[in-house]
Amino acid sequence: MNETHETRQPGAAPMASPPDTAAPGLLAPPAPPAPPAAPGAFGIQLDHASRWYGNVVAVNDISFSLGPGVTGLLGPNGAGKTTILHMTAGLLAPSTGRVTIAGEIAWRNPSIYRRLGLVPEREAVPGHLTGRQYAEFNARLHRLPDPRAAAARALATVDLEAAADRTIGTYSKGMQQRAKIAGGLVHDPPILLLDEPFNGMDPRQRLHMIDLLRAMASEGRTILFSSHILEEVERLADSILVIYAGRLAAWGDFRQIRRLMTDRPRTIAIHSADDRKLATVLMPDESVAGVELGPAGLIVRTGDGERFARLLPKAARAAGVTIHEVLPIDESLERVFAYLVSR
Amino acid sequence: MSAVSVIWTIAQATFRALLGRRRTILMGLLALVPVLVALLSRVAGDGVADDRAILDLLIIRTVLPLTALVFGTTALGSELDDGTGVALLTKPIPRWHIVLAKIVVAGIVTAVFTAVSAVVTGILLGTAGETLVAYVVGVIVGAFAYATAFVAVSVITTRALVVGLVYTLLWEGWLAGILPGTKSLSLREATLGVIDAVSPPAVVRDGLDLQGSLTLIVVVLVAGSVLGAMRLARYQVKGGD
Repeated sequence: MNETHETRQPGAAPMASPPDTAAPGLLAPPAPPAPPAAPGAFGIQLDHASRWYGNVVAVNDISFSLGPGVTGLLGPNGAGKTTILHMTAGLLAPSTGRVTIAGEIAWRNPSIYRRLGLVPEREAVPGHLTGRQYAEFNARLHRLPDPRAAAARALATVDLEAAADRTIGTYSKGMQQRAKIAGGLVHDPPILLLDEPFNGMDPRQRLHMIDLLRAMASEGRTILFSSHILEEVERLADSILVIYAGRLAAWGDFRQIRRLMTDRPRTIAIHSADDRKLATVLMPDESVAGVELGPAGLIVRTGDGERFARLLPKAARAAGVTIHEVLPIDESLERVFAYLVSR
Repeated sequence: MSAVSVIWTIAQATFRALLGRRRTILMGLLALVPVLVALLSRVAGDGVADDRAILDLLIIRTVLPLTALVFGTTALGSELDDGTGVALLTKPIPRWHIVLAKIVVAGIVTAVFTAVSAVVTGILLGTAGETLVAYVVGVIVGAFAYATAFVAVSVITTRALVVGLVYTLLWEGWLAGILPGTKSLSLREATLGVIDAVSPPAVVRDGLDLQGSLTLIVVVLVAGSVLGAMRLARYQVKGGD
């Protein structure tokens, strides 16, 4: 497969799908991709990066390059998202391959942190410091000329001014998360990595954070965040990297991948007043790949979810059958990922 | 900002982290043990207590290594374990700044707790001023040597506390009694060597002389700092998902 990789310069529109000949918005990673083009000053680049722990392969031969814009790293828990972020942040050595930040090798290179901010997921924040002290601590270690002002700015950005002088130990989980984000962006980095940034946040805080990250991206920053929740990624990311079992399952424009997820074959359980009659009227339609009558009701396999969604109410009405319940039975994110990988 | 200000920033945060209420109380209680023993010997004893023997046993063999073990392995090791250290690791600063700040703080805190305990214990035991000065000097030197070793170990292994206990109790405590040769790699013996050089005891004991003591201490200070910084530069965060 021909794979060229594109990195936009600051201020350009967020990166969409890689401009190649692959299926729209989807890159199948197993075919060894050519080394990506050199990223710009705002770029993240993984080049055949793998990471294993003993016999366990956590990340398997992943290549991508990102420029300005928000990219979601989507995958179920245990897929390898954190390992990818840690490698990208220079905190883990790739077992093979290369990871570069703004053209510099990330591993064992503290100078990348001038341009990179990391907001880790599980890592704790020191509970004995106040939010302000923590932000200032980070600012001082970045050797910023005015650490106090930088800390105040970062705290205002994450809407934590009111609680800035309380110790972090007294914060809610969402507030701790925001304190971490303040620490990660205190030096105003052009590249920001966030691991599950919405964990523990209430809906209002999520909205605020989504607005914040979008605003930061519109200033030309490269933002890569991980999530296992499709809706979060949908609301924030312009492009996504789908990770499943340590591999890059899909990469590109969110809407196109979302469509692929929607159009995949699916199985639906239907409870109606007359399952047998409903099955008879549904079966001839080309969207229906198979029907099955059982104790759980009518099970329909469809290859075209959208068409079937339009068909079902019409067919039921025409046949005079009342529908009690329609239940997709293979909607878990893991199944969606597994489907994407198998393509 | 200079390297000094970065090291100072890390040191301040480390002081605050190390001197949490619970740890301070616990280490204070440990430092209080020799004082209580001295008090007991003064109140109930016959006044002929061998003050140097008591100071050696309770201060140099017990309070000093245990205090250094707790502060040395916590200063950096606990941050690496609970992940708060990521804030340090993701900064554009040389790793030796971090290690140096941690060693200095662990050394100072250990020295203060142990030296105060030694001075109060010595005064209660009626120890001579010159001897007391020797113990304070020894404690300060020993505190930095132990702290350096334990900070370095805490970067290398997550089981630094166990390694430190094995070294202190088995190597320095038990093995040194059976195999005198192991004394040349004992920080306890090096500390006692410094004390004896500053204030010679009535009976010369069979341990490290000043030259051997200083050699070991300098080797530990340099090798521990360098090794700690090198290992921290290669430090990899724990596996994620």
